[in-house]
Amino acid sequence: MSFWEIFAQQLFNGLLIGSFYGLVAIGYSMVYGIIKLLNFAHGDIYMFGAFTGMVALGLLSPAFGNAWLGIIAALLITMVFVGLFGVTIQRVAYRPMLKAPRLSILITALAVSMIIYNSMLLITQGQARPFRTGLTHESFFIGPLRLTETRIVLLVAALALMFLMHMFITRTMYGKAMRAIALDRDTCQLMGINVYKIIAITFFVGSSLAAAAGIMAGVYYGTIHFFMGFLIGLKAFTAAVIGGIGIIPGAMLGGLLLGLLEAFATQIPFVGTVWKDVFSFVFLILFLIFKPTGILGRVESERM
Amino acid sequence: MIKKQWIIMLVLVLFAFGIFGCGQDTTGPDDEGPGEEEGTILIGIMVPVTGAYSENGIDMENAVKLAVNEINAAGGILGHTVVTTTGDDECDPAKATAAASKLVSEEVVGVVGGYCSGATLPTLKIYGDAGIPLVVAAANATSLVEENPGWTFMINSTGDMQAENAIGWFEKQGVETIGLIDDGSAFATDLKMLTKQQWEAKGKIVLTDDTVTTGEQDFSALVTTIMSANPDGIYWTAYHAEGALIVRQLREAGYEGIIIVADGSSAPAFIELAGPYADGVFCTAPPFADLNPAAAEFVTNYKEMFNSDPGAYSGLTYDAMYLLADAIERAGSFDDTAIKDALAATDGFQGISGEVMFTEKNTLGRSNFVILVVEDGKWTFAE
Repeated sequence: MSFWEIFAQQLFNGLLIGSFYGLVAIGYSMVYGIIKLLNFAHGDIYMFGAFTGMVALGLLSPAFGNAWLGIIAALLITMVFVGLFGVTIQRVAYRPMLKAPRLSILITALAVSMIIYNSMLLITQGQARPFRTGLTHESFFIGPLRLTETRIVLLVAALALMFLMHMFITRTMYGKAMRAIALDRDTCQLMGINVYKIIAITFFVGSSLAAAAGIMAGVYYGTIHFFMGFLIGLKAFTAAVIGGIGIIPGAMLGGLLLGLLEAFATQIPFVGTVWKDVFSFVFLILFLIFKPTGILGRVESERM
Repeated sequence: MIKKQWIIMLVLVLFAFGIFGCGQDTTGPDDEGPGEEEGTILIGIMVPVTGAYSENGIDMENAVKLAVNEINAAGGILGHTVVTTTGDDECDPAKATAAASKLVSEEVVGVVGGYCSGATLPTLKIYGDAGIPLVVAAANATSLVEENPGWTFMINSTGDMQAENAIGWFEKQGVETIGLIDDGSAFATDLKMLTKQQWEAKGKIVLTDDTVTTGEQDFSALVTTIMSANPDGIYWTAYHAEGALIVRQLREAGYEGIIIVADGSSAPAFIELAGPYADGVFCTAPPFADLNPAAAEFVTNYKEMFNSDPGAYSGLTYDAMYLLADAIERAGSFDDTAIKDALAATDGFQGISGEVMFTEKNTLGRSNFVILVVEDGKWTFAE
């Protein structure tokens, strides 16, 4: 392979994995932006989404003749189901803690993460499961790029979801309300915004995006397991911080950037795969030192 | 303020219990009290029965139970009925330490098991200090041999023999350059280093040498670097969960060279997860009971009793239990030193996986590795 072939291939690899990071990072960033909570359970919701998707696909795919139709149906149903699951978690575990000190709600998030993780461990008995889609993975070349149909569709779908998310935040009433609550929750309440409803919607949207990423990962890799949420949770958190936590376009940008960094880090001599993760976390530390607000973040002056 | 600190302390303590509490296995012994009372003896099984590698662990536990049933039906060991107790190591060093301590406190006469090298390693000293012989059926990293306090007996061949086996197969296929991948675990790193040393000692080239993170799913960047170096052969030295993904992504990216996976990937789940991409993948594997004519009766009994295939290590584990029983019979008592000496003096013990005799370092005195290949979704002999 020539230099440009490798470059193009790694660029595509980075964009694809980065778009998965981005989808998960949006959920992280939204929740942080609105209730200042680092939702540690978010990676586990991604994993839960992948397993729900597997079950939904198993039930639905015989009903559809076409593999892609089955996947789209399973994706939509899973996004709604896992979205409601996210809302339930919020209602049961987080809402009673909203007025409590920040540390309490953080620890609650850790507990929720452990409950989901260990429940899935019990249900799956720790075994990795094949994610059967019925898609063929014939590869073909576009210029120097070796691609499969699946990879193209997944990248387009992930970018489309991000775009829709951006429109939702900037163009709808609910998006406007979310941004307002992020600025000042108490004033919003005084202005007659139903804060709890908006928080629930935030959890719905964030969880369903994570579930979508989970299913896409299943379709792409063909294998899912109960600990798949841990690493991606960590990476998505990193992406959210790099992009500026609490800022939705920042999460997308951070995700894509992190994916690209990782893909190209494997290509650097002496960095390679072994140090790939170290490389991205060093990048995170550099960001925290020199630009703690992230790429798109501004320093907010708080009026007391 | 003080109140808040107390709450944090309390939560931390609860967490500590939560985390270490998982290490305790819930399946206790079938009867209480020390093993030698009331005409029964207690044998410990240390395998991962939960977690990502539980498939092999459960097979191994089943194999011991099958052996114990047969031994008890034939009158037990020295007239005592054998009872087993399981310590779940989850392939995790911390959990394994807890499991070993649990088995020691239950006063087992001997322990059979040891699947992951990394998890088995810290337990060797625990058993050594307690004077309990451990017969290891699967784990085979060099570090186990180095750290052996004298109470561990390995009836699976060691890593250097596995490396030799893989290299022999690469050479037979005319491979000149190889790429190596491991997952950073004790066993996989050890096997990778041994393979690298032996390969380079022959004046041949290792083109790529990578370590992946356990739990990662995306190896596309790694696959692209490997494809750009394009080695003739690739050796994955770790376990099946990531192995299946790497094989799949390599083949999808158009890699056409020879792929060998180590014995940690020999579980049937590897084929299930890699799907059609598993076809033509080779494996340096322990003696598979399924393919071993001498083990035909064991396979039939196993399938009848547990309604599943015996898997990669159950044959060796079955042998390990019989070897321990044989050594106790030869020792003529339940004295720990006598049992250890009897084990060390083992000569010409015939198991279903072949003959057992030990080297000075308590490792198997011969290589038992075979080369398997996936054909039509099943492991078969490559030769």
